[in-house]
Amino acid sequence: MEPRQERSVIIAPPFMTAGFVSPGADFACPQLSDVIADIKALTVDEPDLLRSLGPAFEKYNTEQFATVKLPGSSQQVIVSSHNSLGNGRYYDVESQSSFHFDHSTQKASAAQTYVLESKNSDLIKSIIKSLAPYVKEHYPAAAYSAYPIENDSTIAILIVANKYSPNNFWNGRWRSIYLFSPTTSSLTGSLKVDVHYYEDGNVRLLTTKPISDRISASSSASDVVRQIAGTEKKYQEELNLAFSALSEGAFKGLRRQLPITRQKIDWDKISNYRLGQDIGGGRSR
Amino acid sequence: MVHQLDTSDLLRRLDPKHTSDNVDRICTLVPDITEDLLSSVDQPLETRRCKKSGRDYLLCDYNRDGDSYRSPWSNEFDPPLSDGTVPSEKVRKMEERANEAFDIYRELYYEGGVSSVYFWNLDDGFAGVVLLKKSVSPTGKSEGAWDSIHVFEAIDRARTAHYKLTSTVILHLSASAESLGEMDLSGNMTRQIEQDLPVDDDSSHISNIGKLVEDMELKMRNLLQEVYFGKAKDVVGDLRSIAPLTEANRDKATHQEMINSMKR
Repeated sequence: MEPRQERSVIIAPPFMTAGFVSPGADFACPQLSDVIADIKALTVDEPDLLRSLGPAFEKYNTEQFATVKLPGSSQQVIVSSHNSLGNGRYYDVESQSSFHFDHSTQKASAAQTYVLESKNSDLIKSIIKSLAPYVKEHYPAAAYSAYPIENDSTIAILIVANKYSPNNFWNGRWRSIYLFSPTTSSLTGSLKVDVHYYEDGNVRLLTTKPISDRISASSSASDVVRQIAGTEKKYQEELNLAFSALSEGAFKGLRRQLPITRQKIDWDKISNYRLGQDIGGGRSR
Repeated sequence: MVHQLDTSDLLRRLDPKHTSDNVDRICTLVPDITEDLLSSVDQPLETRRCKKSGRDYLLCDYNRDGDSYRSPWSNEFDPPLSDGTVPSEKVRKMEERANEAFDIYRELYYEGGVSSVYFWNLDDGFAGVVLLKKSVSPTGKSEGAWDSIHVFEAIDRARTAHYKLTSTVILHLSASAESLGEMDLSGNMTRQIEQDLPVDDDSSHISNIGKLVEDMELKMRNLLQEVYFGKAKDVVGDLRSIAPLTEANRDKATHQEMINSMKR
């Protein structure tokens, strides 16, 4: 028999990364652990299988900007490819620490002091400082930070907001990523919203909005954050309009709430309808 | 059985838009459960044209025999089968009338789309599935698709029948624009109901099933509207507030104060 483990290694990563785990939140993403439990139960004869999923969990956590509390701290810090130090370690600028992150349990350990080394470290710190009041005013629960990337040529600015409500069967996640180039003043990136509702069903909202802006003013930290604030406000207003447009447009076009007569069907006389409709000039198919 | 529970729990936690892909992946991981899984998971319906009548019909596990599907309009399998499973003559007669009735229902509520009804015999009655499907792309920038799958059992009792209905609606909506980017709002919802209804003759079954399905779809349409355009939008607002939170909280406090003062 063909060894099944080999096959699952090929299958599992797209399975994990098709964006398929619902946005969980907080210390340990409960959905990810639930999914792991389900896969465990389905493949109980093959304990090695789960271990082979490690890279998929890492991809999921870093793409989703998993958040974690550092030991002895109440502040949430972000886990992403932009603040990875390799070997499962990540760093946080504000708390000046690095830590090990376990991608399957989503726990942080072995925190150490970490001092940011970057020619843009002052700008990065000011961006984080300017982000604080903005994030506090618009996100009830979010983690944010900025990191030097691409050989210190660019600054990655991340905001991630999670809301997890298991009692009401829904989760939500908002992710913002901006790549700011101090030399060209270009600000590119994307906004993503992911909402999952799973009571007696399974409903998912997934959005992506690419960002491509240029900071016109002095490109100071506060200019960058002001631009971010404007972009995000405008996007959220667009998104709200799109909800209404879909509700009034596509949704209404699929199925009427009641027939054009505004009455439910008289099923005992169902065969009369065709005739009545023809006389009434009913549309043809 | 354990597998089936784990699988549906797993699928519930995965992106509903990728259910077909995820089903394939699970089948590859755990090949033993393929047959059970394919018959228990609802996926968007496919359409085929009946070669005899020229009318479209919907494909599902209940009109499938091997690799062939039975047309509700002609009662014939495509590709042809000499010994395909068909309902008894009496049940086929009801099936024909149900297809006519739900074709009218479809026109009244969906103003387009495709419907199909399949019945099969049970020892103590009969069972069936009512399928409805419609797709729209009103502006080119937005799209929508609705699939209804109503599976029922009608168990004969004296002068009544006991109906058990399990309904699933798969609703996919999406929009894209320069200012919006891409937005996808998709999913499925399942509800169940059991009811005893009077039966005089076979035509009573058609109107009983018709009423049950009509009531269920009205209920589910309202529910979908609430979840898709109410709940999902509210969660976005819970993640990020357009109005500054200090302002929003102050308004909330003022509002609460007013309510409190009215209570006094």
